[in-house]
Amino acid sequence: MTVAEVAVDDGADAADGADVAPTDGRIRSRWAPWFTTLRYGALVALVGMFLVPVYVLVVTAFKDPTEVSPSQMWALPDSLSLDTFRTVWPEMEDGFRNSVMMAVPASIIASFLGAANGFVLAKWRFPGADVVFPLILFGMFIPYQAVLIPLNQLMSDLDMHDLGGLTLVHVVYGLPITTLIFRSYFSGISDELIDAAQVDGAGMLRTFVFVALPVALPAFAVSMIWEFTSSWNDFIFGLVLTSRQDWPVTIALNNIAGSQVVPFHEAVAAALLASLPTLAVYVVMGRFFMRGLMAGALKG
Amino acid sequence: MHRIRRWAPGLLLVSPSLILLGVFVYGFLGWNLRVSLSDWRGLRPDYAYAGTDNYQRLPDDTRFTDDVENVLVFTAVFVVGTLLLGFLLALLIERGVRGEGFFRGVFLFPMAISFIATAIIWRWLLNNAGGAQETGLNKLFGQVGLDFLANDWFKSRGTWAPAAIALPAGWALSGYVMALFLAGLRGVSDDLREAARVDGANEPRVFWHVVRPMLLPVVMSAVVILAHISLKTFDLMFAMDVESRKIETPALYMWFTTFDGLNFSRGAAIATLLVAGISVVVVPYIWYSIRMERRR
Amino acid sequence: MSETEAETESDAEPRAAGVRLESVGKRFKGGVDAIRDVTLQVEAGEFMVLVGPSGCGKSTLLRLVAGLEEVSSGRIHIGDDDVTNRLPQHRDVAMVFQSYALYPRMSVRRNLAFGLRMRRMPKEQRNRRVAEVAEVLGLEHLLDRRPAALSGGQRQRVAMGRAIVREPRVFLMDEPLSNLDAKLRVALRAELSLLHKRLGVTTVYVTHDQIEAMTLGQRVAVLRDGVLQQCDRPQEVYLHPTNLFVAAFIGSPAMNFVDAAVERGVVSFAGVTVPLPAGSPLAEADRKVILGIRPTGFTPAADRGWPTLQATPEVVEELGDERFVVFDVAAPRVDTDATRAAVEASTADDALLLPEDRARFTVRLPTDVPVPVGEPLTLSIDPGRLYFFDPDTGDAVPS
Repeated sequence: MTVAEVAVDDGADAADGADVAPTDGRIRSRWAPWFTTLRYGALVALVGMFLVPVYVLVVTAFKDPTEVSPSQMWALPDSLSLDTFRTVWPEMEDGFRNSVMMAVPASIIASFLGAANGFVLAKWRFPGADVVFPLILFGMFIPYQAVLIPLNQLMSDLDMHDLGGLTLVHVVYGLPITTLIFRSYFSGISDELIDAAQVDGAGMLRTFVFVALPVALPAFAVSMIWEFTSSWNDFIFGLVLTSRQDWPVTIALNNIAGSQVVPFHEAVAAALLASLPTLAVYVVMGRFFMRGLMAGALKG
Repeated sequence: MHRIRRWAPGLLLVSPSLILLGVFVYGFLGWNLRVSLSDWRGLRPDYAYAGTDNYQRLPDDTRFTDDVENVLVFTAVFVVGTLLLGFLLALLIERGVRGEGFFRGVFLFPMAISFIATAIIWRWLLNNAGGAQETGLNKLFGQVGLDFLANDWFKSRGTWAPAAIALPAGWALSGYVMALFLAGLRGVSDDLREAARVDGANEPRVFWHVVRPMLLPVVMSAVVILAHISLKTFDLMFAMDVESRKIETPALYMWFTTFDGLNFSRGAAIATLLVAGISVVVVPYIWYSIRMERRR
Repeated sequence: MSETEAETESDAEPRAAGVRLESVGKRFKGGVDAIRDVTLQVEAGEFMVLVGPSGCGKSTLLRLVAGLEEVSSGRIHIGDDDVTNRLPQHRDVAMVFQSYALYPRMSVRRNLAFGLRMRRMPKEQRNRRVAEVAEVLGLEHLLDRRPAALSGGQRQRVAMGRAIVREPRVFLMDEPLSNLDAKLRVALRAELSLLHKRLGVTTVYVTHDQIEAMTLGQRVAVLRDGVLQQCDRPQEVYLHPTNLFVAAFIGSPAMNFVDAAVERGVVSFAGVTVPLPAGSPLAEADRKVILGIRPTGFTPAADRGWPTLQATPEVVEELGDERFVVFDVAAPRVDTDATRAAVEASTADDALLLPEDRARFTVRLPTDVPVPVGEPLTLSIDPGRLYFFDPDTGDAVPS
């Protein structure tokens, strides 16, 4: 590609109209406006593709039940109605409540423990800390199939095939990721801060509580969101550990929607309901979600 | 002795987590291994050592070998597809676009949804009913003149059925890969790129020679994470089409043989193989990341 | 004093205490000896500066005194107490960090009060002390702000205030002025001196800037690679450096060095011959030396009968009231570990932009007569201001 003519980008690209295009101040070739249009075009097309399932979901769930039929999946509703939700909600209600009672405590506890672990591993080193961290990390990657049988046995022996047991399980298996999040975060704060606290007279616990925790609020947000989402969306542990009255919402959802008898608009509405809390969290606290992802990739 | 006073409180604070993880991860892995070497079938546990029969019988078990084939197909399509899509998304956004927050939000939101819900929606999108019952993507393709794209998706005969599952899986995870690449691309210091430009490189060359080599760690991270997810995915196939052998993977087989068939020892063997498979990818990755971190 | 007594503080007079290090050594994992057999005594109330190039171990030594690192060998005493095995919390020292390390989520007030809270001082007493210190440092109007809302200089004062409010036995300061820009640094140097005079607390101060060391310290301890080179009053270190490293490190611009030969009562180099002072121990010697002459050891005046040197200025730096002239001397450059360490160059190449074999001298000249580049100049060498060093050991040779 040769630069036959150089035009200075003054921000008035054809694609953007009069608004200022994102520019890093560089002199751009005359092809740039075309590339930009192409980019936006591609992005919009991709957004469309990504939202196809959402379209189906929303259109179907809000359609009047009499209009619904699989062959009419793509058609817009003639009339809107909440009837489908009303039909489906009673069957989801218990599962919903169970999931809340499980996911909220699990995320809080896993976050606090993760904060303690992350702090010690990042700032208060002990002999063997360098070995312990990879060992903890590995726990994040194990396939749950490998622990199902022992878990099932242990929980039977402890008589914990209930919501409490499920909560415990989510706390434990959430520890690796919350530890990772906090350790990453604490690695970024200066050692001198910890030193200053020590010289000022604080031991490990007081340094943790008064100096480290207050500074770690962003990490808390990330950790809670991640752990909440992960516990809420889990299925396999719920399947193994709970029975009817303790079912989390994912199990309830699968039972409703998995059956062949249930019409598809109810299945879809149920899926929407079940996803609302995590979606709400995502919408409100999206950027923390992204930071959680970064921690998950072991980026320091 | 005095040195202990320094680090003991720290060790104490992490000990509950260490104990819990010691039991629930490593203890259970060992326990599972033991079960795999027993002949436990039926409801009452039986840990008596029975040799490696369970493992030896697996290669002859056609259901198992079919499942392995399925998971390999799925993994290949899923990993490659998601990598490419995620990379493309990151590339499009990387230079900065207006409404970047919106775009990122759209591409990432599927991660917030459970695989069950995802499966429910996509089950209908990938429905292969024909004629008057036609629905989902097949119907959409028909309406916009892309009939030739319609197919049986996950109900296809032959090896490619599992590849259809890569669609919802990719939908759910491309945003994640995009986030990784975004961070990687933006992490390439501007100085490097500017030096290359001043030296006369045009944009594609700048990308190829300066940016691309620095993306390797990102690609590695992404591959490891995607591959291990694909090996252990259970919810997605379970909710898509629970009875179907066409998309069954070892992860699902383990479930059925253990909790339906009550053949715990065989289930444990499959589970151990899953761990081994994942470890092959994950352990070097963890080791490498820790090494890299120490060097910084 | 037992540990519990050390934790409860009363409002008694500042109890300045000396710091004594006995054969202290520190070895890190991996076998690196950061500190080697350092014995040092800081008198009660003294302002002692630890100075040296990066990596010389000065910060490590400070951290050993604070208790943030554990000694590998030797003992540390603060006042009458052997604190070698005590945690930092129990040593009654206060530290000012290079990055200030203010607690980001606490207001200035709470930052100042933190150490007192940790020692369980009653609230009223705490508030009183915080108010006093805030007034002394001019921080009253900032008490409710968070560190992020303060300027660099303000943060520095809060960091100092946090240390002062504790009324410790020893202040430890780790390059507190390094993060400030040059002019502010010079201004705050004087403030620090004043503060010390006022409070009279024993202070151990670390810096890599030898000018700071010379101006602030009552005594200066020069460190290199974990070994104490010399510890003395600034003037003594300047006028009587014990070895090549100290001579090269202290003084700005650095001392000029050249290989020279001593025989028959004169020292000669590059065709210049300088008689040794009467009664010099070197009078009978016949040996090689490294000769050192400070930039101030030359004058343009030709009337004192001093030996002269012909110089062709290559670079002339005009600084208003001073002038520095750089020229080459017809003798090989002195390039030893010591001279390189003094400028923090790890190989011969680091110290030069363009390769050069000959010795390069810098001379301070008055500004009354112009000195054009390239025009030969005659300089007189003051025979009373020569320094002699052994070429092999680097030790100063008595002259």
